[in-house]
Amino acid sequence: MSYIKEYGIAVPEFRISDKTLHPRLGRKGQHAVCYTDQDIITLAFEACQNVSKDVDAVFFATTTPAFKNRYHASYFADLLGLDQGILAMDFGTSVRAGSDALLMADKLVKSGEYKNILVIASEVYYPEIGKEIRAAFGHAAVAMIISADAGIAEITNTKSYSSALAEDFDYKGENVQYDARFARTDGFKKNLGLALKESNINASEINQVILHSPYAKIAFGQLKKAGFDLETQLMKDTVAAEVGNTGACHGLFLLINALESHKGDTILFDYLNGTNVIQISKNDCHPELVEGQSFNLQSTNIENYQDYLQLRKQGKFTGRGYESIEMFSSEMISEREKDGLIYLRGYECAKCGTVYYMNAARCNACHHKEFKQKQLQKTGTVYAVTSEHYFPNSFAPTNMVVIDLDGGGRMTVQQTDDMFPTEENTIKIGDKVELVFRKMMENDKKPNYFWKCIKK
Amino acid sequence: MKDKKRNIAIIGLGVTKFGELFDQSYDDLVRDAATQAVTDAGIELDDVQGAWLSTAFPEIGVFKGRSGMDLVEPLNLYGIPVTRVSNFCASGADAIRNAANALAAGECDVAMALGVEKLRDRSPQDSIVKMMVELSHPYYQKGFTAAGTFAIYAKRIMHEYGLTREDIANISVKNHFHGTLNEKAHHRIACSIDQVLGSPMVADPLTVMDSCPTTDGAACVIMVRAEDVDKTKHNPIYVDGIGLSVSTGWDLPFFDPKHDFLSFQATKDAAAMAYKQAGITKPIDEIDLVEVHDCFSIVELLTYEDLGLCKQGEAKDMIRGNATQLGGEIPVNVSGGLLSCGHPVGATGVRMVVEVANHLRGDAGERQVKGAKRGISHNIGGPGAIASVIVLNNEN
Repeated sequence: MSYIKEYGIAVPEFRISDKTLHPRLGRKGQHAVCYTDQDIITLAFEACQNVSKDVDAVFFATTTPAFKNRYHASYFADLLGLDQGILAMDFGTSVRAGSDALLMADKLVKSGEYKNILVIASEVYYPEIGKEIRAAFGHAAVAMIISADAGIAEITNTKSYSSALAEDFDYKGENVQYDARFARTDGFKKNLGLALKESNINASEINQVILHSPYAKIAFGQLKKAGFDLETQLMKDTVAAEVGNTGACHGLFLLINALESHKGDTILFDYLNGTNVIQISKNDCHPELVEGQSFNLQSTNIENYQDYLQLRKQGKFTGRGYESIEMFSSEMISEREKDGLIYLRGYECAKCGTVYYMNAARCNACHHKEFKQKQLQKTGTVYAVTSEHYFPNSFAPTNMVVIDLDGGGRMTVQQTDDMFPTEENTIKIGDKVELVFRKMMENDKKPNYFWKCIKK
Repeated sequence: MKDKKRNIAIIGLGVTKFGELFDQSYDDLVRDAATQAVTDAGIELDDVQGAWLSTAFPEIGVFKGRSGMDLVEPLNLYGIPVTRVSNFCASGADAIRNAANALAAGECDVAMALGVEKLRDRSPQDSIVKMMVELSHPYYQKGFTAAGTFAIYAKRIMHEYGLTREDIANISVKNHFHGTLNEKAHHRIACSIDQVLGSPMVADPLTVMDSCPTTDGAACVIMVRAEDVDKTKHNPIYVDGIGLSVSTGWDLPFFDPKHDFLSFQATKDAAAMAYKQAGITKPIDEIDLVEVHDCFSIVELLTYEDLGLCKQGEAKDMIRGNATQLGGEIPVNVSGGLLSCGHPVGATGVRMVVEVANHLRGDAGERQVKGAKRGISHNIGGPGAIASVIVLNNEN
């Protein structure tokens, strides 16, 4: 048996609407977009914040990789402090990569060889500038623990059907529009037909159907024929409306949405160049599963296209005459100091109890020489703050915040998500703040991840 | 030994014009300051037996000042020990301290301490901010400029002690007025409180007018042991005490929960050393003028307290009561301070000692502090980490 034991979702705060992207087309969609310091890694990290790190494998799915020739799963396992020798694999190329990873995790757990597998799907797709209105996009990350231990829902059936034909794909960086008419006879329709026939799907035993496919409508007839009532059983895609189509995340995102809607047994058909069928049964009703809690509905709208362009200009600085400054970056420093930089492990004086972020030969307060390792907390109170107007950054000023962490220790970090200064997000002495994991100023050779803060 | 009076005399003073000196090179500045000091001392270059060069940031200047070599090359002064001293904004004072120590140890009989910095050959975008982003630790303090570091102090002090934005701006108004009286200052323009508050924000609450300019300049002193002073030739000013203390680190204030951002411990420590050597117990009564490291206006305010000129939290009363204005109870920065003179980092400490010495000689012209007998010069560098205090006296 295998279960979805825990999950987490991360969606950036900012939204761009179709109306802002193209006022005259009259479309009503909106898209979650990353802040300048977010990417697939930071979103995935955020999604994993509250899920268990006690896992024996990590799968990472994305069609928008940050690296080439480097497994995101391995990189990420290290960010989470997992063993180097862990099974870590990437899934990509098609937007069904998320459910691919889930399917593989399910099979491995059911085989008995693995007990807990962390499945992450993270997607940050930027359409070509000026062509956003034609693209389905939305930035998000999803994390799930697939476990042999009973959890929120049992994964009762997973199956995958390949399809040689692809209606729409990229080749050598160029989009190739194959003939979408094939979808009517081949592709999704054919996959679905096979699935309905072979997977012993009984419409009356399923409460909810999720279709994630650009050709969903083509399948309506088949579903009806199989006994489904589309009015009551087909799940509405509210994620697409709120966040946009989140690509490799989307299938898993919808699955979580289904769990939170408390409707019962659910089947997901996740398509692109082949279809994954994921069937789950809700055998345990968790009270913490509240509809909509999983993604950040508190969003900030970007009201004009110029601000959106500014948001996408990663690594280019517009502040006070600084065109671009390359930050010194070192893989050695990042690796050597990751205990503090990533894991927030500080030092507590064994005698007087003062907590330090940084190590030293002796305590600065009492000169005692022994320290205990101390896990620093990610919340704290602002001791002092200033706004740096001349620091090169995409959005000036850069607010620098000195934080006394709850439970001891002090850190000084940048504020983030503050491109639009408001009364609500202005940080003052005494305010409560929370640390968030973000990309530091970009060096083109390597991203550097560290902590910033947001007002709580 | 460390608490004893220093018994060192400064016999030669030299200081160049401070400013955006496009027509002068690093070497020109060295030659100008050294020649003035040697001439003032009535000696020849060949009489100098040891020298200390203070340049804080060769990397953002013209890559000069990396070693003592860059002092002797423009002077053709070879064959003596020369060392480059680097201790952030206290570099100049530290060159003087090292020269004093060598004289006391008997390594040489005539010593030169010269500070020089050439910052304006580069574009403003190419300076300290860029260096800190590009070269410093890839994670810590990313986002800070020098102004921001001191702005954090300002924000916390305003919060704790009811210091107002106007109190801070008043420092700038006072020093810019003093600067109009100094022909060697970088900016010689008086300003109003509204101009300070209305100038572009640098790091909240500090504006451009609360910040010193980056500047080219050099200053030099010639020093001997007090016993070697020849009063028929020299016009000596005596060094009674020198204190220098590194009291916090570069990153520590921002990661140590005990650091309160309310005072500069380094200044307190350095002042305690220097006062002890000089026998000063009540500075406000025993000192006639002070040159304070006002790289940002807030720093001067805090330093009143740290130097013991008033109690903690009372600095605002000193500026409100005009006590530190020329003609006041204890004039501070009558040279115009760093705010007017500018801040060629390595030269600043030496420039301030020359300023105090000129007052003690009675040679300060229009801005002379009348009857000045004893004065102090103070520097602070890094994020309030390193401070120096030098006590000068016109009698031994």
